[in-house]
Amino acid sequence: MENTNKIKTADEIKIKRKTSDIVFTVVFSIISVFWMYPLVMVLINSFKNKNYIFQNPFALPDEKTTVYGDNYVQAVTTKMDFMSALMNSVIITVFSVALILLCTSMCAYYVSRVKTWYTAIFYYLCLFSMIVPFQMIMFPLSKVTDVLQLNTPFRIPLVYLGFGAGTAMFMFSNFLKSLPPDIEEAAMIDGCGPVRTFFLIVLPIMKPTIISVGILETMWIWNDYLLPYLVLKIRYYKTVPIVIQYFQSGYGRVEWGAIMASMVITIVPIVILYLFLQKYIIKGVLSGAVKG
Amino acid sequence: MKKRLALILASAMLVTSAVAGLASCKSGGAGGEGGSSEKGHVYYLNFKPEVDGIWQDLAKKYTEETGITVDITTAADGKYEETLASEISKADAPTLFQINGPTGLANWKDYCYDLSDAAVTKELTDKAYALNDADGATRGIAYVTESYGLITNTKLLKEAGYEITDITNFESLKKVAEDITAKKAAGEINFSAFTNAALASGDWWRMQTHLANLPLYYEYKDGNVDPGVGLQEIKGTYMDNFRQILDLYLDNATCERSVAASKKVDDARTEFVNGEAVFFQNGSWEYNKDSGLMDMELGFLPIYIGVEGEENQSVCTGTENFWAVNSQASEEDIQATLDFLEWAVTDDEVTKVMADDMGFSIPFKNAKPVSNKLTLIANDMVSGGKTNVPWALITMPSQAWKDNLGSFMAAYASDKTDEAWDGVVKAYVDNWKVEKDLVAEATKD
Amino acid sequence: MGKTLQKNPLYLCMFLLPTAAAFLIGFVIPFGIGIYLSFCKFKTMNNIKLIGIDNYVQVFSGDQVFGQSFWFTALFAIVSTIAINVIAFMVAVLLTRNFAGTNVFRTVFFMPNLMGGILLGTIWKILFNGILTNFKQTLTSNGTYGFVGLLILMIWQQVGYMMIIYVAGLQGVSDDIKEAARIDGANDKQILFKITIPLVMPSISMCTFLTITNGFKLFDQNLSLTGGEPMHNTEMLALNIYNTFYGRVGYMGVGQAKAVVFFLLVGAIAILQLKLTQSKEAD
Repeated sequence: MENTNKIKTADEIKIKRKTSDIVFTVVFSIISVFWMYPLVMVLINSFKNKNYIFQNPFALPDEKTTVYGDNYVQAVTTKMDFMSALMNSVIITVFSVALILLCTSMCAYYVSRVKTWYTAIFYYLCLFSMIVPFQMIMFPLSKVTDVLQLNTPFRIPLVYLGFGAGTAMFMFSNFLKSLPPDIEEAAMIDGCGPVRTFFLIVLPIMKPTIISVGILETMWIWNDYLLPYLVLKIRYYKTVPIVIQYFQSGYGRVEWGAIMASMVITIVPIVILYLFLQKYIIKGVLSGAVKG
Repeated sequence: MKKRLALILASAMLVTSAVAGLASCKSGGAGGEGGSSEKGHVYYLNFKPEVDGIWQDLAKKYTEETGITVDITTAADGKYEETLASEISKADAPTLFQINGPTGLANWKDYCYDLSDAAVTKELTDKAYALNDADGATRGIAYVTESYGLITNTKLLKEAGYEITDITNFESLKKVAEDITAKKAAGEINFSAFTNAALASGDWWRMQTHLANLPLYYEYKDGNVDPGVGLQEIKGTYMDNFRQILDLYLDNATCERSVAASKKVDDARTEFVNGEAVFFQNGSWEYNKDSGLMDMELGFLPIYIGVEGEENQSVCTGTENFWAVNSQASEEDIQATLDFLEWAVTDDEVTKVMADDMGFSIPFKNAKPVSNKLTLIANDMVSGGKTNVPWALITMPSQAWKDNLGSFMAAYASDKTDEAWDGVVKAYVDNWKVEKDLVAEATKD
Repeated sequence: MGKTLQKNPLYLCMFLLPTAAAFLIGFVIPFGIGIYLSFCKFKTMNNIKLIGIDNYVQVFSGDQVFGQSFWFTALFAIVSTIAINVIAFMVAVLLTRNFAGTNVFRTVFFMPNLMGGILLGTIWKILFNGILTNFKQTLTSNGTYGFVGLLILMIWQQVGYMMIIYVAGLQGVSDDIKEAARIDGANDKQILFKITIPLVMPSISMCTFLTITNGFKLFDQNLSLTGGEPMHNTEMLALNIYNTFYGRVGYMGVGQAKAVVFFLLVGAIAILQLKLTQSKEAD
C-alpha cells in the first residue's frame, strides 16, 4: 500500500515537472520574442520612408510607406558615409585588440616574473586605473593625444592600449600567477631565451585567457563612443556609434531611414558573429566578471 | 601544430604593432593632412548645416584653382559652441570660425585675429557690419544678413478663405489660425495653421532664440536699449506676450502640443513642404535649393506677439553670423584664410552661388542681386516704411541659457499650466542675470 | 626566468616598455593633468591659471544641476541594481532547470550586450516615443518617463550579462547538497534561501558591483535616449560633467573638479565593494 503510494507520487512529480517545463518553455518563448522585438523593429523600419518611421514604428512597411532598399543605398552613398565609418570601426577594433593582446600579455609576463619595485608600482597603477571613470581623464587625454597626433584610426590603438591596459594586465597576471614556473625553467635549460620561451611555451598556454581578454576588449572598443569622439580627428574619421549619434542630432536634415539601415548593417554581422562564437563570448564575460 | 599557431599569431600581432608604431611615428610633421605647410591651409568650422554641401563644392573649386586645401566641417544644430570649444584647442584647429556677436566675441576674444586691415573688411558695404572690440579693432565680419518670420503658404491660406493681407497683428493672426484649426476639426480642410514647434533637444532654436527675440526686442525698445549691446539684467515685461504666441503655435499645430518635444525642425519643414501647414516660423536661409521651398507660393509675415503698434512691424532682419579668423593659427594659415575670404566675397561666381544657391544676402560690395524671395519680401517691407525688428538675440547670455530656456519651453508644451510657465519665465528672466554673471566671470582674466 | 629577464635591459624594453609607455600616455599623464587642472581656470591649454579650490566650491555651492544629477544618478543606480539582479537571478534559476529551449533563451537574453549604448538608446527612443505618442506624450514629457525608460533599457541590456554570471554560479552548487536538504524535509523555498543563495553569494556581490558601477558611470545610453531632458531632470553625473566641459565656455576647470569628485565617488564604491567581498569570503 505504502509502496504504490510512493510510486504514484513520484509519477505525479514527474508529470507535474513535465507540465511546468512546457509552461516555462512557452512563457520564455513569448518573452524571447519581446526581447528580440526592438532589434526586429529596426529591421522593419529600415525599409520605410523616413516620414513614416516615427508616425508608427510598429507598423510593417506597405505599398505607401516602403522605399524598398533606398535607405540602404542612401546609408552607403550619401554624406553620412556610413561605409567609411564602418571601415574605421573595424580598423580601430582589430588593431587595438591585437595591440592590447600582444603588449599586455608580454608585459604581464614580465611583471609577474620580475619582482622589483617598479614592476610592483606599475602593476598597482594598472589595478588603480580600473576604477577610474573615463570622465576623470577625458579632457586631458584629448589634449595629450592631440599633441601627440594620435588622432587617426591607425594611431588610436596606442590610446586604447594605454587606457585599456588595466583590465588586460589584471587578467593576464592573474592567470600567470597560477602558472607554475617549472615549464619555463625546463625550457630555459633546453636553451630557450625568454622571448622564445614566452612565444613558444607561455603564450599557447595562455590561449583561453587571450581569447577572453580579446572578447572583452572587442566588445568595449567596438561600442565605444566618447573616447573616439574626443580623440579622433572627427572631420575625417568617424566610427559607427559616432555616425549614428551625429546624424540624428540636428545636422540639417535627419535621414532616419538611412540611420535605420546603418543600424541594421551594424547589427547583423555582430549577431552572426555572436551565434558562432557564443561559447567564447560567454567564457570571456565570465572570466572578466572576476576582475572586480 | 600548436606551436605553429602561436608563432603565426605572434608574428601577426608583431606586424600589427609595427604598423601602428610606424603610423604614429609618421605624425611628426606639422599640418598633418592639411596640405603643404608653406602655403598654409584653411579649416572652416561652418555654422549652417543647410549650406554645408555648397561650401564643400566651393572649397573643392578653390583648391583646384589655388592648390590650397580648404576643409569645411559643419557642427550639428545647437552644437556649434560645443564643437568649437573642443576643436579650437586642438593642434589642428579651425582657422576660420563663426562668432554670434558680442557674446561670442567676449568668449573667444583670445582667438579673434585683428581684421581691421584685412581685404575682406574693406569689401564691406557698411562699417556697421564689422564687429569691433572695446578698442575699436575689428574682430568679426558679418557675412550674411538674414530675415525670419512666418513663412506662409499663400495657396493654402486662400483655400482656408484668407488673404495674407488679412493678417496685420496678433489678433488677426490668432483669428485666422483658430479658424483654420476649427475648419480642420470640421473636416473642411486637411491642413493645420502651424507646423509643429520642433522642441526636441537641439532643434529648439526657432523657439528659444528666434521667437524669444521678440519679447526681448520690445523690452529693449521700451528702455531705449541698443539691441546690439543689451542689458545685464532684464525684467521680462513681455513674457505674457511670449506665452500667447507660443500657445498659439502649439495649440494650432499639425501635432498635439504634448508631442512637440519629440519633433525636429526637419519634421516641421517636411510638413510645410507637403502642404500640411500654412505657417512655418523660419527664415530666409530655408530658401535654398535643397529645401523644396523654392517651388512653393510663399508669403512672409512678421511674428506678431500682441504689442501695441505692431502693425507697423516688419520681419526680423539681422545677423548672428560673424566670421572670425583664428589668431592662434600659424601665420601661413592666417594668410591662407584671409585670401580665401577675399576670394569668397569678390569672386563673381562665388557671390553668385551665395546669392542664388545659398540664398544669402551678403553685405559685400560685389554682392550679386538677391534672388531669395523671402529676403526680397523683407526688403520691400522695410522700404515700404515698416520698422525692422533687429536681432536682439545676439545679446542673449550664452548657449547654456538658450538650451535651458528651450528645455523649459518643451516642458511647458506638454504641461500647459501656470507652474510650468513660471519655469519658462525663470529660465528667461532670472537665469538671464545668472548666466550673464557666469559668462562675465569666465571671460575676465 | 625572472633573473634572466631582469638582467638584460633589452627584455625590459621588449616586454614592459610598450605597454608602460602607452599607459603613461593613455592614463598616468592625463590623470595627473586632470588633478592639476581641477585647481585651475582655463579655456584651453594655453592659458592655465592656478586658482586653488574655487572650482570645488563652485561644484558644491554654485551648481544646482550637479546636485540634482547626483541624486538622480544615485537613485537610478540603486533601483537598476536591484531590478537587474532580481530579474537576472530569477531567470538564471529558471534556466538552470533544463527545460526545452534554455540554450536558445540564454542566447537571446544575452544578445543586447553586444551592441553599444548609443545604438540601443536610439532604438529605444523610437520605441518609447512610438508607444507614448498614442497617449499624446513623449519620452521627455517628464523626468519619470526618462527614468523608467532608462531603467527598462538597462534591464534589457544587462539582464543577459548578469544571468550568465548567475548561471555559472548556480551550476557550481552541487545537486547533492540540495538533495540532502530535501531529504531532511526542506521545501523549495527553504532550499533557495538557505542553501542556494548563500552559496552563490560571490556571484551576487560581483553582479551587484558591476551593475551599481555601470549605473553610476552611465553615459552613452543617457545621451542617446533622453540627452538629459527635460530640464536636466534626467541628466546623470557623467553627462553633467561632459556638458560642463563643452557646453559652457570658460568652465572647464569646474568640469574637471566635478570629474575628480565623480572619480572619488566611483572609487569609494569600488573599495567598499572590495572590503565587503573580502569580509564575506573570510566568514
